[in-house]
Amino acid sequence: MMQAFSLDRPERLRAHLALDRALYEVRADGQGGTHWQHVSAKDLGAFEHAVEPPPFSAKSFFFAERELLFRFDGGRFYSAMPEVTPQVLFGVHACDLVAVAYQDRFFAADPHYQARRRATLLVGVDCLHSCQGGFCSLLDSGPAVHGDSADLILLPRGDEASDWLLLVASEAGRNALHGLRLPPAECDWQAERVANSHCVAAEQGEQQEVSAGIVALNNDSIADTVWDALGLRCLGCSGCTSVCPTCSCFAPLDRPSGQDGVQRERVWDSCLYEGFQREASGHNPSAGPGQRVQRFWTHKFGDAFKERFERYGCVGCGRCDRVCPGGIGVHGVMHKVSLR
Amino acid sequence: MNDPTPRRLLLLDHYADGEDARHFSLRIDLPLAADLAVIPGQFFMLSVPGVGEAPFTYVSLPDRSGRFTALIRRMGTLTEALFAQPVGAVLGYRGPFGKGWPLFFSAKRVLVVAGGCGLAPLAGVIDEAISHYLPQRLSLIYGARNADAQVLRRERAEWQQRLPMIETLDEAPVGMRQGSPLQHFGELFAATPPDAVLCCGPEPLMLATAEACLKRGLSSDKVWLSLERRMHCADGLCGHCYLGPSYVCQDGPTYRYDRFLQLQSRYSARPGLQDHNFC
Repeated sequence: MMQAFSLDRPERLRAHLALDRALYEVRADGQGGTHWQHVSAKDLGAFEHAVEPPPFSAKSFFFAERELLFRFDGGRFYSAMPEVTPQVLFGVHACDLVAVAYQDRFFAADPHYQARRRATLLVGVDCLHSCQGGFCSLLDSGPAVHGDSADLILLPRGDEASDWLLLVASEAGRNALHGLRLPPAECDWQAERVANSHCVAAEQGEQQEVSAGIVALNNDSIADTVWDALGLRCLGCSGCTSVCPTCSCFAPLDRPSGQDGVQRERVWDSCLYEGFQREASGHNPSAGPGQRVQRFWTHKFGDAFKERFERYGCVGCGRCDRVCPGGIGVHGVMHKVSLR
Repeated sequence: MNDPTPRRLLLLDHYADGEDARHFSLRIDLPLAADLAVIPGQFFMLSVPGVGEAPFTYVSLPDRSGRFTALIRRMGTLTEALFAQPVGAVLGYRGPFGKGWPLFFSAKRVLVVAGGCGLAPLAGVIDEAISHYLPQRLSLIYGARNADAQVLRRERAEWQQRLPMIETLDEAPVGMRQGSPLQHFGELFAATPPDAVLCCGPEPLMLATAEACLKRGLSSDKVWLSLERRMHCADGLCGHCYLGPSYVCQDGPTYRYDRFLQLQSRYSARPGLQDHNFC
């Protein structure tokens, strides 16, 4: 069982963790946006746990949007590994942490991803209420942070006068608390988490369209014409794949570097781009937009992928619904494919 | 851990071998023991520094000094740049990757069906059959658009002497067989019904070959195809080479036909807008 402490203010924990790590937290930028931002140990700003997840998940901290792979000086190749320093992500939502765990598995043999990941302490935070359009309850990715997906877990309280709770979820989490004196929690925090989960599940409702859509997708009952109609609404903008916390496709990019050298980077790619699978000969196995939309959703909800990763590739964060200009985010698509 | 950094590959030599195609002689600098373990049908990633990286198949496999050959057709940006490289140029190498052709210890009669450049990944199997009589009897049918488009000229001249081999052309001069390899299946199956079939060529040809074999009584677990897909990482991560839930760079490029059908039916690759020409 996880050890639980009472925490008077989450800012106290934040300041402690930021002493010997680069700490990042989601904050408003003052212009209507919110981003992951660096926060120093001396920062006095309040930790504000937003119900809505940030526009971008924690994905890019590990799977960088642009990553140098190697340099070539005309005669030899030189591997490039990222320069990592210990870092902590403070206040990550449960769904995004499940996505990190999913990518940990996918990128298990990727040295760049793993170098960044191993230098990172994850502090999750339970959600007391559902975000708009989220459905973590259906997909078992929240609202309570999974114990195996974080190092430390913050538990806000329904009653604002009460102290926060802090759960220790890993050895690294325990070690990180060294020097911080915290009293043990003296409440039935397990019961609180269960009650919170019930509350969020009730707010999210049955999500009938999503569950029916998953069934339809896996029993092959969706006509090609349905996918083609959805494909017509795809602008190939890569919005969904950029914000999706589990999307992981990339492409290489060779460029000149220095005086006579060249370098290869990898950059995020999108399976919804027309040329994603196009071969040099012109042959394109997924030339139709409907095929590509089908591919994207099959990757998220196909049972064959679930067999490999022991869960679906969607964590129910709802970001695709928010960004898709064609209205074919998760609810838009699942509504259409679940119609008989 | 995967290593995306290539090793040095030296361009030793090349000669023209088919329309817009060259047969390259290459050498891995400082070869490792693992470089000798290539199985015919596997592939390697070739980098032209500053331009990019793409998958190619081996014709002859790496020897102790790291030398091997590859048949490469000028098709896009990367091969255009490769063809402009001088002898002695330093290129990049990663590999071997993927699953090669099956080794036959029981099948006695194997039919190899190749179309266009699809002959290249099968060369290693044919050479093995010649040097080790494994399988005991291997025959080859090779189709191409026309005589200019035929590849592996030197190898074919030798194979012609060593094993039963039919060449057929879409545009055949007088005295040569005409039409797709499929048009000669009746004859081939009547003479020596194969226990197994290996096929590589344009995807429509491979699918038609597999179906023709099934019609003639071969079961789908006795037919193998080698798929072409766009690949960037060869580690099953970049996502480009998907075939349903499978990544061709790791699970393929060689697929047994029953498995291929299973992957296709799970999340439908549709018969798309495909180029029926030989590459």
